[in-house]
Amino acid sequence: MLNLNKGEHKELVFINEPNLDLHISQAQDSSLRIIVINVSPIHQFTSIEVHHVGTGCSTEIYVLAYVKNKDCVRTCTRVYHDVGGGQSKQVIKYVLADEGQGAFLGELKILPDAQKVSAEQTNRNLLLSEEATMRTQPQMEIYADDVKASHGATTGQLDESALFYMQQRGIDPQTARRMLVVAFMQDIILQISDEKIREQLLQSIDGVIEE
Amino acid sequence: MSELLVIKNLHASIQDKEILRGVNLTIGQGEVHAIMGPNGAGKSTLSAVLTGNPQYRVTEGEIWLKGKNLLEMPPEQRAREGVFLSFQYPVEIPGVSMVNFMRTAVNEKRKYEGKEPLSATEFLRLMREKKKMLAMADKLNNRSVNEGFSGGEKKKNEIFQMAMLEPCLSILDETDSGLDIDALRIVADGVNMLKTPENASIVITHYQRLLDYIVPDFVHVLANGRIVKTGDKQLALELEEKGYAEFE
Repeated sequence: MLNLNKGEHKELVFINEPNLDLHISQAQDSSLRIIVINVSPIHQFTSIEVHHVGTGCSTEIYVLAYVKNKDCVRTCTRVYHDVGGGQSKQVIKYVLADEGQGAFLGELKILPDAQKVSAEQTNRNLLLSEEATMRTQPQMEIYADDVKASHGATTGQLDESALFYMQQRGIDPQTARRMLVVAFMQDIILQISDEKIREQLLQSIDGVIEE
Repeated sequence: MSELLVIKNLHASIQDKEILRGVNLTIGQGEVHAIMGPNGAGKSTLSAVLTGNPQYRVTEGEIWLKGKNLLEMPPEQRAREGVFLSFQYPVEIPGVSMVNFMRTAVNEKRKYEGKEPLSATEFLRLMREKKKMLAMADKLNNRSVNEGFSGGEKKKNEIFQMAMLEPCLSILDETDSGLDIDALRIVADGVNMLKTPENASIVITHYQRLLDYIVPDFVHVLANGRIVKTGDKQLALELEEKGYAEFE
């Protein structure tokens, strides 16, 4: 169990960790950013559990996975707003190629005393092959009445009209696809504060994307 | 004047519905051709087929660009040969910056022509030059392609891309739709500035208004998948007055 003290700020970045099991408790006015990036997994499981035990906490969770071959990447987030005045934001993105399998379970609980909470959860998945699969399961349990909570999950393919537009400008379809996949992935990478790590990752994801 | 584009007896369908039913059209270098016609006549289908949009199927006919068989080329090759479409609805591409998009496009074309790619400095200089021509804001470079652009900005951005790629055949598909009069003038000025004795334009429009600014050498009426009438710019004025009723 990791404890964040009153007013503490922490950013945790995990890149290609095969297994991740985080339990975090946040004291009053602490802020936490977690960025998990899995671009060369075989089988990978991430579990993140966060409790707001003090008021006014903020939590951001960003997860990016690129899954290929027959690999499997599972992500489970549990965010508990035990008390009020807190904020949480989760963005979970998957790119699935070949016969890759992905799963996301996102539990968000706002307890009765947790008024004035704002919570959002977004899950976007990009399927690059017919054989790739994604299972997504958002679970919201909200027991307080004065809260803002939203969630959305979408799974789709590359935008054909964008591909044609790029081809019409002379860009070959392989390059166009690659550019669109990088575009989909990069906003998670851009969340990393450390410029060196961020730039390294941006350089390397191009090599990750397969044709 | 030598022939740039020759379309012979072109038939095309979408989802087994025939839209073009025998289009014949020859365009010479230096010429501006307006294609007008009622909704559903096949105007946008013609631009889609010329650019190789995979949603449409050519069932009969030929298209030749500078003596080369256009129908045998994939869309990106047609573009590199100099076919440019200013889209009626430019596509938003979140996460792909204008500068990355344009540099890729320009350098792919240069590679096709056997030229060295432009360096970052040369490229940015070229971009600055062309943006100035269209009175476009500098902040454009790092914005995602068309994302959050107003209708007018999107159309200006199409003409900007045209300026960057210097096509031999530009097709302006309803470029006037959604433009206020100032934006229309800027877009038209851009098109006119890009005119050379070697290249040509097809201006697809529903209204005569744009043709006050981009003056066509020929005006064609496309109705029911065929060119049913051809004239000079006077024909556009007549159409504006009488409408398309006689062709429907």
